[in-house]
Amino acid sequence: MRRVIDNDYLTLLARLGIGLMFIYASAYKIVEPESFAKSIWYYHLVPGKLINLVALIMPWLELIVGLALILGVYYRGAVVWTNLMTLLFIGALCSVIVRGISIDCGCFKASDASSGSAWTTLLFDLTVILFAVQLFFSKSKRWMLARN
Amino acid sequence: MKSTTSQLVVLLIIASILGLVRNIVPANSIDYIGKWRTLSNGDDPIVPPNADKGDPPFISINIAQMEHMAGGAVFIDAREVSEFECGTIPGSVSIPFEYLPDENIDTYVDSALGGLEKDHPTIIFCSGEECDLSLHLARNMQDFGYTNMMIFFGGSREWDNYGLEIERRVECEE
Repeated sequence: MRRVIDNDYLTLLARLGIGLMFIYASAYKIVEPESFAKSIWYYHLVPGKLINLVALIMPWLELIVGLALILGVYYRGAVVWTNLMTLLFIGALCSVIVRGISIDCGCFKASDASSGSAWTTLLFDLTVILFAVQLFFSKSKRWMLARN
Repeated sequence: MKSTTSQLVVLLIIASILGLVRNIVPANSIDYIGKWRTLSNGDDPIVPPNADKGDPPFISINIAQMEHMAGGAVFIDAREVSEFECGTIPGSVSIPFEYLPDENIDTYVDSALGGLEKDHPTIIFCSGEECDLSLHLARNMQDFGYTNMMIFFGGSREWDNYGLEIERRVECEE
């Protein structure tokens, strides 16, 4: 098990996969912060006054964490942020499913209050967290720009 | 552990600076402090005592606001025109129930809604709890074949009380 977790190629694959996903996911949110703020509002989890701040900062955090994962810079911090953000997304999705709110996740584009892909996204995020946890425990340091 | 914590903080600070500075650029910038209404825990709709089982579903202010922001549903104001013009939910269509014509009401409603598909989502409201024009209009529209209606019984007053935007066309009469 240890050898699988520490496998250089698996670690690189997880870094690239999650990193590119975060960068891609951040794009629309950075360009359209108002749409993303609306997506956050649909979840009913963030106090109204803080929604815009979260909408302004979180996409950049995704972008920077994505880049850090791929480049291997500030790597430990990026891996922990990856786990924290993915757990946050999973928690948010679970909460809307439990409360019966029918929304698209707003992960890669603005949420639509009437569509319901929360389950699909939850399955996707559960897959992502598996790789994020693997990165957390992996001791592989190959193909990184900085010693972390 | 210490270096991981410091990396976490550095990444967050960089993201915060970039996010806040990028918002200085006018294109697509937003207020730093949002005016989003924090939804109440109670998401129960107001249901009038004279509601029947066959009536369209009653929705809460939370759902009404979400539907309004999503933009898919047509909001219908059942109050008289002067009240509608004085202040209504933005983008609403006026169908004053008390001033419907004596004949061909269905044609009138169809025309007011611009030939909307009968199964298109509509949300009917009037002024608030004391007003059941929305209920009566919804029942009539059911008879005309409309199948996807909701009633926002909190009405324009609850909408206004929650600080949501009101569209005003004329000065309100005293």
